[in-house]
Amino acid sequence: MNRRTFLSGTLAVGMVRPARADIHGFGRGGWQALLGAHAGRPLIVHFWGLTCGPCLTELPDWGRFAHSRPNADLVLVAADPVPQPGDRLAETLAQAGLAGAESWSFDGRFPSRLYFEVDPSWAGELPRTVLCGRGGTQESWIGTADFARVTTWLDSQKA
Amino acid sequence: MKHWLLSLALLMPAMAARAQGHMHAHPAPACEGVGLACASAATPAFAADGTLWLTWAANDRVLVARSADKGATFAAPVAVTPEPERLDNGPDSRPRIVVDASGRITVAYAVFRDKNWNGEVKISRSTDAGAHFSAPEPITGGSPSQRFQSMEIDSDGRVFAAWLDKRNVAAARAKGEDYAGAALAFAWSDGGRFGPTRIAADNTCECCRLGLGFVGPGRPVVAFRNIFAKSERDHGLIAFQDPNTPGPLHRVSEDHWAISGCPHHGPSLAVGESGTIHVSWFTGGDLRKGVFYARTTDAGAAFTAPMRVGDPTKQTGRPALLTIGRTVYLAWKSFDGERTELRLSVSRDDGATWGAPVAIAATGDESDHPQLISDGRTAFLSWLTVQDGYRLIPLDRVS
Repeated sequence: MNRRTFLSGTLAVGMVRPARADIHGFGRGGWQALLGAHAGRPLIVHFWGLTCGPCLTELPDWGRFAHSRPNADLVLVAADPVPQPGDRLAETLAQAGLAGAESWSFDGRFPSRLYFEVDPSWAGELPRTVLCGRGGTQESWIGTADFARVTTWLDSQKA
Repeated sequence: MKHWLLSLALLMPAMAARAQGHMHAHPAPACEGVGLACASAATPAFAADGTLWLTWAANDRVLVARSADKGATFAAPVAVTPEPERLDNGPDSRPRIVVDASGRITVAYAVFRDKNWNGEVKISRSTDAGAHFSAPEPITGGSPSQRFQSMEIDSDGRVFAAWLDKRNVAAARAKGEDYAGAALAFAWSDGGRFGPTRIAADNTCECCRLGLGFVGPGRPVVAFRNIFAKSERDHGLIAFQDPNTPGPLHRVSEDHWAISGCPHHGPSLAVGESGTIHVSWFTGGDLRKGVFYARTTDAGAAFTAPMRVGDPTKQTGRPALLTIGRTVYLAWKSFDGERTELRLSVSRDDGATWGAPVAIAATGDESDHPQLISDGRTAFLSWLTVQDGYRLIPLDRVS
């Protein structure tokens, strides 16, 4: 039983609590830790939030993308200005088809510091997506995603 | 006895805070009381007699306290919310307070009414110099959501409130139609309950604070993030022709920020004695990114070219504006990864030219947005910080 199947199973019977353990805390140094963990592989980081209406509308599209490209390194980071309950994050991710995706959530009450670590000019607007290339390149945008662009970028990163 | 009970209630940790112990549910609250030391947002107002009134949100309660010495010390706070409520704790949300010439106090705050971030604006009043506050009442009815309330008193002493309202969203959906964003709603109070709610503009951005001022008695002016074209969340301005007649919508700046997302970052507005309207705002537009300032001398028909404010690589944001006569104060936040600095620039000629920015204060942890207020003579910067507490900083020595 792989992790995705296990999570889907537990969610299906309404137990979202075990999924919470899979939402990592994103604190100081979290951005570098995340990049380090995926070093050498193309990485898509999608910052979203429970308090962001357009994010919630778009999230199922990310779920479909994740299922269409199961081997892609896709990481979801909940970056609400006020951290939201882990069970609600997990529930929302599961409903969007992202129960098995690697997921992080901002820790603490000083989000400006975390925004700054990701990009000094980021004031916290959501959603935000960052495409991190093999060679350390980064391109990002604020707002919902053009999935054709994401797919094209991912294909361009093939070794 | 009543005072004793109230004090006890204030000392008790908020129930909501207790329920948030799990790291992933919420970070452990830095403190569990409802005093100013535990506040997340604080809004000041000066009374005519020079008393500083401060309202704040802390652990799902709204409190008010007065200071007779310009913020150095505060009297015991008084609760506006009898019970903890699920306060709107978004980055651009804050309780508001106004004090009229006879000392009547009105407080407005927003709560979340469901899990989908629909809000309700509530009003509470004190007619006994802040000793007691009335049971909070909704500012309006017949609306599924109201948030981002602002409130100011005009020179005739009437209270003008404006907020973002979703009644027209609901009405459109009932007819099977789409409706982008929210509506700019407003109402007036002569000291008692607010009168009927009216809509000044449809299809505004739904997640940013408003900037309020007056171009004359009964003539409010509102700056707000609007939705232009399909999705450009640039700023609009409406100057009222009379208390219930909004003037035309003018665009403050064509930044072309097409974003299907949440900036949570609204504008600031101040009106000078000459009637010049000053606006400062944040944008991530195609044409410009960062914080900008512009002014208009014809109620918004034409604005000056946007002037950049602060360093865009330092998370510059949360501008605040204030005028005293022809002097204009513009403050903003700047963050270098470790320290948040409040910076200030001053114009002595109604916004035509500006002095070099100076650092006014700094802190090493989370902080509220800067607020600028005046007692009619001196400008003050009001700033709530986690690490360094609350500060009211006089700006009379800043040139």
